[in-house]
Amino acid sequence: MNERTGMIDVQNLNVTFGHGNSEVRAVRDVTFNIDKGESFGLVGESGSGKSTVLRAIARLTHDWTGTITIDGAALSHRRDRATARRMQMVFQDPYGSLHPRHTVNDILMEPLEIHRMDRREARVHKALEDVGLGIEMRFRYPYQISGGQRQRIAIARALILEPEVLLLDEPTSALDVSVQAEILNLLKSLQREHELTYLMVSHNLAVVAHMCDRIAVMNRGRFAEELTTEQLRSATPTEGYTRQLLSASGSYDRETAKSFVSFE
Amino acid sequence: MSPLLSVDDLRVTFETHRGPVQAVRGVSFDLGRERLGIVGESGSGKSQTGRALLQLSAGNGRVTANRMEFDGIDLMNAPEREMRKIRGARISMIMQDPRYSLNPVLKVGDQIAEAYRIHTKASKRDAQKRALEMLETVQIREPGKVYQMFPHQVSGGMGQRVMIAMMLIPNPDIIIADEPTSALDVTVQMQVLALLDDMVRDRGMGLILISHDLNLVASFCDRVLVMYAGRVMEVIEAGHLQDAQHPYTRGLLNCAPELGHPQDMLPVLRRDPAWLDE
Repeated sequence: MNERTGMIDVQNLNVTFGHGNSEVRAVRDVTFNIDKGESFGLVGESGSGKSTVLRAIARLTHDWTGTITIDGAALSHRRDRATARRMQMVFQDPYGSLHPRHTVNDILMEPLEIHRMDRREARVHKALEDVGLGIEMRFRYPYQISGGQRQRIAIARALILEPEVLLLDEPTSALDVSVQAEILNLLKSLQREHELTYLMVSHNLAVVAHMCDRIAVMNRGRFAEELTTEQLRSATPTEGYTRQLLSASGSYDRETAKSFVSFE
Repeated sequence: MSPLLSVDDLRVTFETHRGPVQAVRGVSFDLGRERLGIVGESGSGKSQTGRALLQLSAGNGRVTANRMEFDGIDLMNAPEREMRKIRGARISMIMQDPRYSLNPVLKVGDQIAEAYRIHTKASKRDAQKRALEMLETVQIREPGKVYQMFPHQVSGGMGQRVMIAMMLIPNPDIIIADEPTSALDVTVQMQVLALLDDMVRDRGMGLILISHDLNLVASFCDRVLVMYAGRVMEVIEAGHLQDAQHPYTRGLLNCAPELGHPQDMLPVLRRDPAWLDE
């Protein structure tokens, strides 16, 4: 047996939307595993299926086949409270993911009520402290705080149930680079403090490389390539698709831009 | 040679119920037939600068400037009738997201043809022909087929090419592109920039590219204005971005993660209140 312990194990995941002529195979035969405390990144362009993988694991999508195992237990298609507590999600747009008519306090209390947790006041204080916000935030509404603070609230809401896994769907792409740096630093230190396992989706190669140990590049529902961050940094990906994505992620170059092809 | 566009001490102030908000505070620049970048974070006033040039500021906005001149025309005091001849025809604007800027119930080809007919006295048939040629110019493979499509049927990259075709068809002197590629995938983003690059080179236009992406803009433009809190912090010649002096520019450059430069924690931008002073 290997010394490493698996946290998330995904085997032959397929997600299909629609029927007949309008059938779309969003995810095709995706297999990967993530160890406890590891960070795994999914990158790809829009429509590549990266967010759909995340949504299947969170069971926000029901049309999947294959097996998803969390810490040794296979997931069913229905969301259950026990797994929901262990696995929380942070969404891309903090403007859309927080209820506009709920105060920060309401937003943080709701998961505690659903999961019938004790010491609610203390947990709200702790969660705010964890994400670097003061308790004076408690009675503000989302429109009264900045985008970066909103994303901190979204992270606090995910952490308040003391999960082991965070599913991060483009957590910083709606933010300015300066705010992105603060949120990425926060996510890194939270991971160390709470021994969290991260599955992160992003279109930004540099962000994923900064956060993750291993990366899978997705194209049209499939894994084009799985590689370590070092391999990505040393620019030695073997797949043409990954190389093109890499060259498009840097500075503008007229000749490079003209050389792009589409990968079927 | 006198510049195409000359702006001196541009200010945009919005009256709100909490008192006036100064979005742009004393911006000055000249634009020739070149690619000028305006870079800044959200709320830095970069988009408001672009909008003020075309008198497109919101109703509660007040625009003042010592000078705002385009080809001998005073843009500050031009009557609405004259502005209509300038907007689109001589200075046009490309917006961020084609999903919101195209009319959802008109075929994209007809929208391009309409842009041509408004500014010329061309017949319907001529305008259609020109629109088809324009679709070809922006490298759409099957112009005849795409002409007949509605906005929801085209991809983001194709929608942005349609927008560019629409803005270019009256052959303007200046294009203001406000985050034209931020909603697009990286490869499509590069292709759309290459297209804008070609248009500016071949037709000798002036381009103002507004973006939050400092590295991208510096690699694309000739000159970059870096804005913070409504003011220009620094003007950088592209290619000398790495020699930027201002601590704000340096801070922005440092806090973005880079593939070639791994680091455990990212440096955080420290804002100096003195940057707000005029």
